Amino acid sequence: MGGVTSYAAAPPPPLPLPPPPSAPDASATHDIEEKDKEKQEPTDWLNLPCPVPFDELQREAYTSLKPELFEGLRFNFTRPLTQKFSLSHSLSMGVLEVPSQTNEVFKVSSSHYEFGANFLDARCMLIGRMLTDGRMSARMKYDISDKLSVKVNAQLTNEPHLSQGMFTFDYKGRDFQSQVQFGNNAFYSANYIQSVTPNVAFGVEGFWLGHQRKSGLGIAARYNSDKWIGTCHVSSGMLSMNYLQRVSDKIALGTDFLYNSSTREAVCSVGYDYLLRHCRLRSRIDSNGCAATYLEERLNLGVNFILSAEIDHWKKNYKFGFGMTVGEL
Amino acid sequence: MGGVLSFAAAPPPPLPPSAADRLPVEDTHKDDQSEKVEKPAGEVDWLNLPCPTSYDELQREAMMSLKPELFEGFRFDFTKPLNTKFSLSHSVYMGALEMPSQSPETFKVPTAHYEFGANFLDPKCMLIGRILTDGRMSARVKYDISENLTMKINAQLTNEAHFSQGMFNFDYKGRDFRAQFQFANNAFYGGNYIQSVSPHLALGGEVFWLGHQRKSGLGLAARYNTDKIIMTGQLASTGLLALSYVHRASEKATFATDFMYNLANREATSSIGYDYLLRQCRLRGKIDSNGTVAAYLEERINLGVNFLLSAELDHWKKDYKFGFGLSVGEF
Repeated sequence: MGGVTSYAAAPPPPLPLPPPPSAPDASATHDIEEKDKEKQEPTDWLNLPCPVPFDELQREAYTSLKPELFEGLRFNFTRPLTQKFSLSHSLSMGVLEVPSQTNEVFKVSSSHYEFGANFLDARCMLIGRMLTDGRMSARMKYDISDKLSVKVNAQLTNEPHLSQGMFTFDYKGRDFQSQVQFGNNAFYSANYIQSVTPNVAFGVEGFWLGHQRKSGLGIAARYNSDKWIGTCHVSSGMLSMNYLQRVSDKIALGTDFLYNSSTREAVCSVGYDYLLRHCRLRSRIDSNGCAATYLEERLNLGVNFILSAEIDHWKKNYKFGFGMTVGEL
Repeated sequence: MGGVLSFAAAPPPPLPPSAADRLPVEDTHKDDQSEKVEKPAGEVDWLNLPCPTSYDELQREAMMSLKPELFEGFRFDFTKPLNTKFSLSHSVYMGALEMPSQSPETFKVPTAHYEFGANFLDPKCMLIGRILTDGRMSARVKYDISENLTMKINAQLTNEAHFSQGMFNFDYKGRDFRAQFQFANNAFYGGNYIQSVSPHLALGGEVFWLGHQRKSGLGLAARYNTDKIIMTGQLASTGLLALSYVHRASEKATFATDFMYNLANREATSSIGYDYLLRQCRLRGKIDSNGTVAAYLEERINLGVNFLLSAELDHWKKDYKFGFGLSVGEF
């Protein structure tokens, strides 16, 4: 690389400076902003922090990069009846995309109303939702003990053979988390994630789908510090990596990369998440030529006004929506 | 036309002057202009009636309250004044266009367009031009030739052959009447005339001739106007009857209703709406006899920055249109 300018060819002369606060060690290659006193403490390998569950590995990056965009009108109303129990009414009027043979996108107006009931307790959480087209979804999470919790997730529909149910058992150890899932289509899966250093966690997962005789394995890694979070997840033909940098407590920048080896398609997106006093603005731009924005503005205590916009320049598809959320959620 | 409501068939009797203000709104065909009343104080001065609004703008208040520019999708308008008389405007619209289809469902296709416009406004002369990205251009000119005579030109030009239109109007404003002549490019000739017959009532008529299709028509109109209410009625020989009523409940709230009846296919539509002009916003809502509910909100976020929300729900056809937008600049 002869063209590169070489800086600092000569070592700096020895200066009468106070000695540097601590000698850099191997884990400081990325963490130059870590506080000095943390560098001085040796890692307590027997007391590593408990990692996030395997499902929530990429949660921070996805919350910032993938808000729930919608088109049309959305109105959510949550009404607490007691401290633990609340009802929710959700009205959504918008458009549905109709598949068509040509490249053009056709949209048809549709509307639905969803009624829901939520019971939230320290140990038990029950959430039920009922839609006007006959679909019902129920979720339950129950903490059997301090370390073991069971989750049940069911989606029931009118049409035969389309209903699904899934049971999940989570065990939380001191520095690991493991999960076993059973689903109604003879679906079995298990995953396990372990902290290997105070900031790094590795995990593995495997699943087996009985009816289609499919099985898969996956591995994941997560690096988590105060300033940034990076994760990587490889499983049965999909590679997904993301990176979230917390520039300050109001601003977070994130990027995400998804590669599908069976179709050889890669998608990359970059976005930001501004958490300001009265609003939360999340935007991203995609390598598919898609720019999207989601704004939640707090008009009053409990009253939020939402604006959602998604412009797909490639397919020339524009989706705009606004809505209102009333109630605590 | 037995089915048409017959308004006040009898000519108004000679009235004590103050009762002329309380005439009900009706479409009388007699102009009793020859009444001259000696005036006790505060009575009607029949020689100095106010000039009526022009024939085109007869139903303007009802149209402004009941028919806001509803849209679907996203709209951004930016008006930039270059000097006190000249301004440019940029307008971006991204939304859905309805495609005609055989099934009762409405299909929408996403579209986007950008419109560039230039406006020149002078006390005597007004020039407005707009050009769209699909090649359509519209131009409007309004020029005051003298204090009483105004000329207007309205042109819409497109790429497609035979779709361009141009119309010339000459308006003459008399002391208590207005007259207008129109010439358009499809061999369209029209004229209309409106006259104040009392301080609150104005009556008018129009006539038009469409050369290419050899059609001609006549129309009659009446408008009754006080501080609190405005009532208008229009009847055309093409078989259209349009009535409207606007009630100003206060300076912030206005209610309006209108009724349209098409004699040819015997369809009637009626709508009722409100128009709230508050300090920071203007909210217009209306409900229709076709089962359509619509609302339009313009909220003033800052000086010159307006946030728009538009919603239209057609419960009969199950078609919902929602849109939001931002409008920057003086308009």
